[in-house]
Amino acid sequence: MKRKWGSAFVVSMAAACLVSACGQGNNSGTDNAAGGASKEKVTIRFTWWGDPVRNKVYNGVISQFEKKYPNIDVKAEPTSWADYWTKLSTQIAGGNAPDVIGMHQFYVSDYAERGALLNLEPYVKSGVINLKDFPQAVTDSGKVNGSLDMIAQGVTMSGQIYNETLFKQLGVQPPTMNWTWDDFINEATAVKKAFIAKGEGKDHWGADDESGAMEPVFEYFLRERGKDLFTTDGKLGFTKQDLEDWFAMWAKLRKDGVVPDAATEAQYTGVAPEQTLFAKGKVGITAIPANQLYLYQTAMPDAKVRLVGEPRMKNGRNGEFVEGAYLAIPKSSQHPKEAAEFINFFINDVGAGKIFKLEQGSPGSTKIDSVIKPLLSPPQQSEMDFISNRLKLASTAPKPPKGYNQIAADFTNAAQAVAYGKVSISQGAQQFFEQVNSLLGQ
Amino acid sequence: MGGTTLKPLHEVQKRTDLAARRYVILRTMSLKARTRNGQSSMAGYLFLTPWLVGLLGLTALPMIASLYLSFTNYDMINRPRWIGIGNYVKMFQDPQYLMSVKVTLTYVLLNVPIHLVVALLIALLLHKGIRGLHIYRAVYYVPSLFGGSVAISLLWKQIFGGGGLVSNLLEHLFGLQNVNLIDSPQTALYTLIILAIWQFGSPMIIFLAGLQQIPVELHEAATIDGASTSKRFFRITLPLLTPFIFFNLVMQIISSFQAFTPAYIVSDGSGGPLNSTLFYTLYLYQTGFSNFQMGYASAMAWVLLIAIAIISAFLFATSKKWVFYSE
Repeated sequence: MKRKWGSAFVVSMAAACLVSACGQGNNSGTDNAAGGASKEKVTIRFTWWGDPVRNKVYNGVISQFEKKYPNIDVKAEPTSWADYWTKLSTQIAGGNAPDVIGMHQFYVSDYAERGALLNLEPYVKSGVINLKDFPQAVTDSGKVNGSLDMIAQGVTMSGQIYNETLFKQLGVQPPTMNWTWDDFINEATAVKKAFIAKGEGKDHWGADDESGAMEPVFEYFLRERGKDLFTTDGKLGFTKQDLEDWFAMWAKLRKDGVVPDAATEAQYTGVAPEQTLFAKGKVGITAIPANQLYLYQTAMPDAKVRLVGEPRMKNGRNGEFVEGAYLAIPKSSQHPKEAAEFINFFINDVGAGKIFKLEQGSPGSTKIDSVIKPLLSPPQQSEMDFISNRLKLASTAPKPPKGYNQIAADFTNAAQAVAYGKVSISQGAQQFFEQVNSLLGQ
Repeated sequence: MGGTTLKPLHEVQKRTDLAARRYVILRTMSLKARTRNGQSSMAGYLFLTPWLVGLLGLTALPMIASLYLSFTNYDMINRPRWIGIGNYVKMFQDPQYLMSVKVTLTYVLLNVPIHLVVALLIALLLHKGIRGLHIYRAVYYVPSLFGGSVAISLLWKQIFGGGGLVSNLLEHLFGLQNVNLIDSPQTALYTLIILAIWQFGSPMIIFLAGLQQIPVELHEAATIDGASTSKRFFRITLPLLTPFIFFNLVMQIISSFQAFTPAYIVSDGSGGPLNSTLFYTLYLYQTGFSNFQMGYASAMAWVLLIAIAIISAFLFATSKKWVFYSE
């Protein structure tokens, strides 16, 4: 026992020195007096994806944690979504990834299947991480091949938002919660026609072109047909015909000018919420994860933004599936226990919940859920109502195989090739299947 | 009184000190030769050490490592496994890779000649001896300083994108609607070539230096003999500039093959639209860092290195035929 503490001391000392620059031991005396579990100060690094607004929220949670655990310093290393995954893969390769990393269900396989993530089950068993208030489905959504590799920070569902103010101005009947693809086409077409009547048809459209969005919109489309993007053994779960039908639907809308031309859509893909066509009032409908509703509402102070489900198929199945953001610990972490303590605090502490609220969707813990409910702003409340409403219809979708990034890029490329008119619909579908099959066949 | 006695002592001390240091240095490096030559080259190496450590640690070692990795299936997380020349074979069956080669060659073939011609023309203009030459020189050099930066790439995206400056100009002048040069696969690459050409500053400065070295007498003599301006340019200026053209050509070709930042920023790292700006280095980066195929990416890096080496060697070989050194 003594020996163990001795080595723990040496390791944490060395790491603390390496990470936090030795000269800064200014407040270690007072911290010792406060008396944490372990006497030496440990620094853990934490990375997540986010913009400055989101970073403020995360930093708030971190400072709460540091108050409660004076012996643990958390070094924040946020990165924008665009650079997050390349930076993380490099850090993992170098063995210097942060101790706690933001994880995503689409990307987790790339790390988990290559054995880069720590199985968190032992920490749950020993009680460091408490998942008692987590519904089983939410816990399970963090498992990869049966190993609990990540813990949900928040659960979200996809939907379509529409600009209610704009719909009123244009005199178009707004969409309903359980609308169908036919409704979607009719609504978007009506918005476009109203824009044309106002003389704004040139650079205003009904809806965004989602043909390149393999996740989540195409996944919904497939699930409604009783299929999935991927099978549980990591193959494509749909046929070329499915993809051709998908491309054909959007091609018609594009031809009619209901969705923007390929170049305009490309220009506004991947920009911040306030710079989107939707926020600029140039399209009436767009797809978002529900937890981003308040970002759009904040970016559009003069408009009322509302959320409805992803369009459904008439007499089809439920497309809904659980999405979310997660926390994980890489195997390279020198302080897995402290990292696990941090994750536990993040998901269970009431103070943390009150700060974090719905940043990444509804909290995994039902207890935190009920604590924060009264504290939410109106857009956040409708976010939460939407998520709990859709969760009832949802199941988990099979996780993508490794190489997800490339598959998603190939999908977008095929959709764009069709949108730019470079290839026919069947050629585009053919191209995607060839690329992915050669990738997965390796 | 004290000063006069101390001074020689001081000098003696200094001398012995230096000798001692030199001795220690020589011993530790176990250098046998005691000639003046040997000593000074040793000191040279010592001064080189900081740079040498950088070269070996940050360039040579990673290069050797990447050569090894290029024969493996290294995925950045698991240990690399030897797969022989598999990566090199795969390259030529990979349509994305071939696309990136095509994009890069187009870029090099258009950028390098236009770049050099523009730089030379501006240098000729500035060489005319305009008032405030140094100001113009500085002004024209400025784009080269930050042309390759992220900020300028973002600016480019605004200028050439839909609703940007160029789009509005085309609409007002020619009535063309919704022109979006950045996000159209036919034109995206050309906006990047324009961006590169705009950074003509550094070859321009080199050409300017070259022009100033050409003896005025030659031009005067030719003028007296009745040679026209164009004749003087092609018979005197251009031949005497060939060493500078050669240098600029080699440098431009190398840097064009390695272009990365503008494409990365303008296309958000995707090489889009439709891979039309998928530069070689960008695809290499995606392969290694997004798709976890570091072994394959290393192989691509080596093919690029060898390609540039061959092209440079070819240029050097032909240079004897067309580069004239006046002295």
